[in-house]
Amino acid sequence: MSVIDILTRVDAICNKYEKYDVEKQKNLNVSGDDAFARGYAAVDAEIEAALEKAELASKEKSKASTVALNAELRRTKAKLLDEVPKLQRLAIKKIKGLSTEDLAARNDLVLALPDRIQAIPDGAAAKQPGGWGPSASHTEIKFDSDGRFDDEYFQESEQSNQFRQEYETRKRRQDQGLEMISEGLDTLKNMAHDMNEELDRQVPLADEIDSKVDKAASDLKNTNVRLKHTVTQLRSSRNFCIDIVLLIIILGIAAYLYNVLKK
Amino acid sequence: MSSDPDKLVAKADKLTKLTLTRWSADWRNATLNYEQAANAYRVAKKYEKAKDAFEKASKGQEMLTSPWDAAKHMESAAALAKELGNWNDVADLYRRASELYVECGRAQPASDALGKAARAVEDHLPDVAVQLYTDACSLLEEDDKDQMAFDLYRALTAVHIKLEKYTDAAAALLRLGLAADKCNASNSQFKAYLSAIVVYLYANDVKAAEKCYNDCSQIPAFLGSDQGRCGSRLISAYSEGNVEEIKRLAQSSTITHLDHAIIKLGRKLPTGEVTAVKAGTEEGEGLDEDDLT
Repeated sequence: MSVIDILTRVDAICNKYEKYDVEKQKNLNVSGDDAFARGYAAVDAEIEAALEKAELASKEKSKASTVALNAELRRTKAKLLDEVPKLQRLAIKKIKGLSTEDLAARNDLVLALPDRIQAIPDGAAAKQPGGWGPSASHTEIKFDSDGRFDDEYFQESEQSNQFRQEYETRKRRQDQGLEMISEGLDTLKNMAHDMNEELDRQVPLADEIDSKVDKAASDLKNTNVRLKHTVTQLRSSRNFCIDIVLLIIILGIAAYLYNVLKK
Repeated sequence: MSSDPDKLVAKADKLTKLTLTRWSADWRNATLNYEQAANAYRVAKKYEKAKDAFEKASKGQEMLTSPWDAAKHMESAAALAKELGNWNDVADLYRRASELYVECGRAQPASDALGKAARAVEDHLPDVAVQLYTDACSLLEEDDKDQMAFDLYRALTAVHIKLEKYTDAAAALLRLGLAADKCNASNSQFKAYLSAIVVYLYANDVKAAEKCYNDCSQIPAFLGSDQGRCGSRLISAYSEGNVEEIKRLAQSSTITHLDHAIIKLGRKLPTGEVTAVKAGTEEGEGLDEDDLT
């Protein structure tokens, strides 16, 4: 068995029986009771892992994997930066069995964390100030680029300018059309109001005409009825008289003739 | 009946003159004769004689206690006087006709007669026309027929503007607004108020225009209406001395919907200086301090 084998086996056995390692447990327990220490240890471990990845990225040959690794690094950095405020809060809390110097030390540690996190190289730090001016409106927004996309970004900004101009001309034309429509509607509204008032004016006149015509119609009806009565009366009596008179005349003539013939 | 109008008139005169043989005038026949004569004269274009004949006919009708026919004859006489160009006669005859109509109890024809009179004389006797228009409007308002008064008020305003009496014109417009308010004709009312503001501004009386605007703003509907907003923009443009704004507002559609005379005034805005308002407000503040002390 070689030394390496022995070492490996020892390591494996140690890992297996970790829980029986009293000292180690004591340390873990101490940190277990203390949320700050736990959190701090976690952040520390992540920073170390990030640094390792950064080294790997800088050694990478293919650009795509570099970009991917850098992106991951940035995500991790953002996450860690989020954790920092939590740790800050925990650092200020007083835990029993903790001395004041330790408390101050914790604060300092926490404050140093953000700097350490930012210091993790992610490959885009150097290029940032130069490439974003013309295309990005927000300097805090970071895009996944090492600057080699700059040319393409310029092209896109020309296109977007054209697009914007077209949009503006169309908007102006629409505004003009809408103004004309609004003027026409204004005129319509005015005319409608005037018509409304005119009709309001004519309503009482129409009512007056209505009543006057009603009165005239009833007068006419009355007159007609009376006329009818009068005429029938007149005619019948006249007919009657004429009948009698004619009869008398005929009888007279007949009597006269009879007399003449008899003689 | 002879168709010679002179003979008819002579005959009718004889019928109406009281003599020993005639104890009461025969107005009926006389009036008939007068009417026929007047028509004949009118056809023959002898306006003077026709006018006289119509006047006599009208008197006859009055005697026959039919004021309606009398008024009608008076109106015909007045129309003939218009042809002749006797403006005073025209005014008098129309007034007489309107009085007769009032006797009949018909206010509308009465005011119509006065309106016709005013229209006939407004070119020659504008003051008389003003009087006639005012009387016509009051006749209608007494009879609660305010709607008909709008046209008369508008004509009255036009006459005042022609005479360049802008305060009177604005007053007439405000009375129009009042009449419109009585009949709930809000559109006409607001247009009348805006026209009054424009007239004041044309007369370069910005203070009066502001006061007018404030008075009219008592009516909440006016504030929120198109005309109210236009008025407030005009006043603020004047107080800022912003000439382009004033010109732009004068071209806007709200002003274009007002009366012709007002549109003409509006197009000529602004008249005179528009930057003098700031000095006026400072003086106002000085007075206030004096009042406090």
